[in-house]
Amino acid sequence: MIEIRIHGRGGQGGKKAAQIISRAAHYSGYNVQDFAMYGAERKGAPVKSFVRFSKTPIKTRGYIFEPDCIIILDESIGVNKCIKGKKEHTKIIINSKKPYKNIKNSCSVNAIEIAMKYTKKAICNVAILGAWAKLFKKIPLKNIEKAVYEEFKEKLTKDMISKNIKAMKEVYDNVA
Amino acid sequence: MSKKELLDGNQAAAWAVKLANVQSFPCFPITPQTEIIETIAKWKADGKLKNLVFNELESEHSVISAALGSQMTGARTFTATSSQGIMLMHEILPIISGTRMPLVMVNVSRALSAPITLWPDHNDFLAMRDAGWIMFCCETNQEVLDTIIMAYKIAENKKVMLPVLINMDGFIHSYTRTEVEIPDQKKVSKFLMKTKQKNRLDVKKPMTLGGAVLEEEYIKYRSQLHSAHLEAINVIKNVQKKWKDKFKRRYYVVEEYGMKNAKAALVIMGSYSTIAKSAVDNLKSKGINVGIVRLRLIRPFPSDEIRSALGHVNEIGVFDQNLSPGLGGILYSEVKACLKKNKNVSSFIGGLGGKPVSEKDFEEIFKTLLREKKEMRKWVM
Repeated sequence: MIEIRIHGRGGQGGKKAAQIISRAAHYSGYNVQDFAMYGAERKGAPVKSFVRFSKTPIKTRGYIFEPDCIIILDESIGVNKCIKGKKEHTKIIINSKKPYKNIKNSCSVNAIEIAMKYTKKAICNVAILGAWAKLFKKIPLKNIEKAVYEEFKEKLTKDMISKNIKAMKEVYDNVA
Repeated sequence: MSKKELLDGNQAAAWAVKLANVQSFPCFPITPQTEIIETIAKWKADGKLKNLVFNELESEHSVISAALGSQMTGARTFTATSSQGIMLMHEILPIISGTRMPLVMVNVSRALSAPITLWPDHNDFLAMRDAGWIMFCCETNQEVLDTIIMAYKIAENKKVMLPVLINMDGFIHSYTRTEVEIPDQKKVSKFLMKTKQKNRLDVKKPMTLGGAVLEEEYIKYRSQLHSAHLEAINVIKNVQKKWKDKFKRRYYVVEEYGMKNAKAALVIMGSYSTIAKSAVDNLKSKGINVGIVRLRLIRPFPSDEIRSALGHVNEIGVFDQNLSPGLGGILYSEVKACLKKNKNVSSFIGGLGGKPVSEKDFEEIFKTLLREKKEMRKWVM
């Protein structure tokens, strides 16, 4: 089972990012679970969302305390706070200009700038998934693309969805 | 054709309402149930539910009164609530079972105030255990969808004619998306053929429902209500079997997991049972044979089935995600009362207000049962 935790601020699309990952995993033949923290969520407040996927039925429930991957959409929350519960192999993807060399298995990617270039909006929840796809390799990029379309079909125009996907692909190409 | 979709528990409930061709949905929002209303409201606005009367009212008391009224006209009715909402409904709940209305309601469990919280436990659901309703407690989002549809088949059975309450856990079900198979509409419509409700208000054939009785009569009605519950258990088993034949998913009133030759067993209900099952798998892989008895049906209380499931086990724990202050776990006292005296039945209370209970916690419960071999009362916190 793979467990992912996404940190962001309310309004940055962390919940949607979790839903996209889980749908893409669903398309790739995995059992999935996705959900978001609830209770004090509001625009600008630190929030978390979660995804589990597995080839076998998922029996675990609730918050993820020891994720296999942590995605941080907004480093101003405090990266050290966000990486709580990280394991030896946990991969950490941070939307940031600067590398976090002191954090093992971390990967900084300037997703917000790339997202801005295409969408003119300071939201990188789709763009950053390019880094996740490249590092994790479990889910084909085309399934993530399909999931982005499905998750946004009632919220965004086709044009806006395709701009987000372009940003995601550029992030994918930028990550080594 | 049936299809698999990613649905959270609330959306799964909304789908069941659509598939069951519900005609009346009086509602009032409360977290974590609101999304059931939002989903149905959107479908209604989009013209996808032409035969449904959608009515948002001013309180849960009004909602359940309206639900009673619409069910009394013979319209297939549904509503949903949670926590303080079901507490406000309470006055009307026994009227619905007393007038033998086949209403179906979902409770999205959320711990009771005060202190106020949004996270689940089963005190709201279990607070209505004496209200005369049939009560199911679900484990998965799929089970929520399937059980709502089955509930109409059970409730509308002439031998039963009782309201049904179905519980899903707030957040763990209501806001967590998982794969859910949405059955084929035609197959569901065929499974749920609507017959005319006999006890209905009709201007052409007037009748009184829920009228006043004197002291000679009241107890007879109550005894009939009890008999209907006892009869219902066979109808429920039958409907679950038919569901398996048609839709390939098998449900039991009491589910046994890993119980063959188990040396200790834990009785549990709700979503946390999957975590407990995972603990059972872990222990079995280490050669420790333990099992789970999951209560899916809470009323009528499946005493015979519980006795049969636990017959060969002497070390039994009951996990209560609820508390009757001054007594302890509600399920504990009910389960203990139906078992033979020679068994060690221990109480474990945990998960109140959504407090996480891990696989390790459940493993520890089993180990304690096997080690102590005596009756205990413990809290998992």
